[in-house]
Amino acid sequence: MAVAAHAHGHADAHGHDEVIYRETRDMRLLGFVLFLCSDVVLFSSFIFAYIYLRTSVSPTWPPLDPVSGHQLPRLDVAFAAVNSVVLFGSGVTMHFAMENWKHAKRGAYNLFMWLTIILGTCFLLGQAYEYTHAKIGGWSGSIFGASFFTLTGMHGFHVFVGVVYLLILWIQSMRNVYDQDHFFGLTAGTLYWHFVDVIWVALFFLFYLW
Amino acid sequence: MDALAGIEKVVALVGAIVVAVFAVIALRGEWQKTGLDDQVTKLLLGLMAFGCILVLLAATGVLPHLSGGTA
Repeated sequence: MAVAAHAHGHADAHGHDEVIYRETRDMRLLGFVLFLCSDVVLFSSFIFAYIYLRTSVSPTWPPLDPVSGHQLPRLDVAFAAVNSVVLFGSGVTMHFAMENWKHAKRGAYNLFMWLTIILGTCFLLGQAYEYTHAKIGGWSGSIFGASFFTLTGMHGFHVFVGVVYLLILWIQSMRNVYDQDHFFGLTAGTLYWHFVDVIWVALFFLFYLW
Repeated sequence: MDALAGIEKVVALVGAIVVAVFAVIALRGEWQKTGLDDQVTKLLLGLMAFGCILVLLAATGVLPHLSGGTA
């Protein structure tokens, strides 16, 4: 009798936890989406500042080098295109990592999660290579350099945080913090990673194609 | 240097096609779902597929400046 009552109490407690989880999940998800919206505002303010500078400050773009007086060269679009594909590819692998987690395919989840982390790291290395080879005068050398390094640096920081975030999520998933019904952290990580991909779409167009 | 740029264009072209195809497959898989996270995922996947199209156009030279000078 005591055992049955204990079991019943345990089931009630579990049911109560489940209700709490469902209710707080929706609130946490909304909070996370609002956080992403605030990040959109942050990037938008810098992007619009760049658009203003691009269209009003200098009659030619890239602008003239303030030291030599020659026009600064364009950025390497071909290399950036490859780097963009690497980042977009990581977005797709993250999506499939999430889907495999939902379907309890741990092996495929691990594979896609690590592919995402590796591709994200490759993107950061590509950015580092570009920073050391772009001849646009450095961060303080010109308006173009200041805009480029500020915006892509801010984005690169987001990617770096994302890589660390994904590593933590993977460790948590290995420690069974999540299961097939409770995986809000993974959902948030996936949304964050897609977000940094999409910000890069705007930056790629603005700095390399426009 | 030009040869390297040519290789980069080909890699970008092939990569963009592959990623775009898988992005569309992922988008189709999400299409019927209605949760907030699913809606946001659909929007972001769609924009990512658009990014692949931009890369595709850049790699094929349809959009300007890819064949121009490099820094």
